Amino acid sequence: MSQNLITEEQVFEELKKAIVETLRVDENSITPDSSLINDLGAESLDFLDINYRLEQAFGMKMARHFVLEHIEEMFGEGTAIDEDGRLTEKAIELLKTRFGHNMSDLKAGMDMDEIPVMITVRSMTQGVMDILNSLPEKCTKCGNSAWQSDEGVKVKCGSCGESATYTNGDDLIKAWLTKVQEEKKIF
Amino acid sequence: MDILKDKVVLITGSSRGIGKAIARKCALAGADIVVNYRKSGGSSQTQAEELCKEIEEMGCRAMMVQADIALRDSVKALFGEVSEKMGRLDYLILNAAKAPFKPIEKLFERELRQLVDTNYLGNIFCIQSALPMLEKTEGKIIFISSLGSRFYNPSYPLGSMKAAMESIVRDCAESLREKKVSVNAVCGGIVKTDSFKVLRQFWDNIDMLPDGLFVEPEEIADVVLFLCTQASRGITGQTIVVDKGLSNAICREKVKS
Repeated sequence: MSQNLITEEQVFEELKKAIVETLRVDENSITPDSSLINDLGAESLDFLDINYRLEQAFGMKMARHFVLEHIEEMFGEGTAIDEDGRLTEKAIELLKTRFGHNMSDLKAGMDMDEIPVMITVRSMTQGVMDILNSLPEKCTKCGNSAWQSDEGVKVKCGSCGESATYTNGDDLIKAWLTKVQEEKKIF
Repeated sequence: MDILKDKVVLITGSSRGIGKAIARKCALAGADIVVNYRKSGGSSQTQAEELCKEIEEMGCRAMMVQADIALRDSVKALFGEVSEKMGRLDYLILNAAKAPFKPIEKLFERELRQLVDTNYLGNIFCIQSALPMLEKTEGKIIFISSLGSRFYNPSYPLGSMKAAMESIVRDCAESLREKKVSVNAVCGGIVKTDSFKVLRQFWDNIDMLPDGLFVEPEEIADVVLFLCTQASRGITGQTIVVDKGLSNAICREKVKS
């Protein structure tokens, strides 16, 4: 069971804050289903800015690279994206495993540039939750399990004051990929 | 101050950051501005629109043109539009850049090609397309480089392209000499623009550099403006470093602590 003390609601609120500051959009225009690119006007640099704000707020590290890049790094160039920039069958199978089979828009042969469009406030919130859920049971410094959240959304050890140590986003994706590959042998 | 009155300045990638600061500075000096951005429908376009409005309020003409400099046809269309609507071009500021942040040995082939397409070929396409207009005005080309051209930055393959472009600046300064088109570069230190937001994700604790070693976009823009003026006529094929002394201060902070 996860030790995470931060609720999805809190993550959603922090993410909204980060989006408003980065994209200068009206807070009320942000819903869980908003596409950051299509509905809120985000561009690639904006994602990094939003990620940075989240990292500062929660004291963790978001993934620097998307799952497709990790696939190719692990299994070789061309395994997820063909030379024309289109997604392979295997990439689609993996994305569906990760983001749910109800993502009917995911089809082999689709352009890789269509993927970022699918990033929603909800999926980003989930990404943050995955990282926060990596909080170990015990403090890495004093070994006690006494995590508590401070005034905001940062977590500290109530016993020694050490900041929470989360697994970074890239390592989480890599671990997940390794696990899925062992189970399903997609690549 | 009307040093650049009736002159036309095109700044590639000027919806944000350093490009935007250069556009403002040139407009303050009285120039008409062409704001270029790559992607339509996103935050760049919104910012480009705001910038154009701001420039027009200063009493200058402003036009925004969407174009991806990596694409030759897109570049041709960009300069075609400038020629048609502005009728001339005096200064071409090569500022646009786009690159993945990864160690160079980890770049996929498509990323490598994109790196070269935008940051090397794209700049050359712009020079080629701008030349007919620049020859008429005896104009200037100014490339915006970064310290990555000569120093290692983590996960910054763009640095190698900046180095290549500084070399092109030297080449073109000579080959365009007869046409009286001058070519120089301004090499910026660490600037807190949007791309810094990327850099700090790959360079732990860079936020801890003392404020005095960060360059303001306006400080780079001021040197660009200087290069646009007669006062700089003796400078050719050079890259002027504007870095608050950062590159002279190797590990100064480390030594202190």
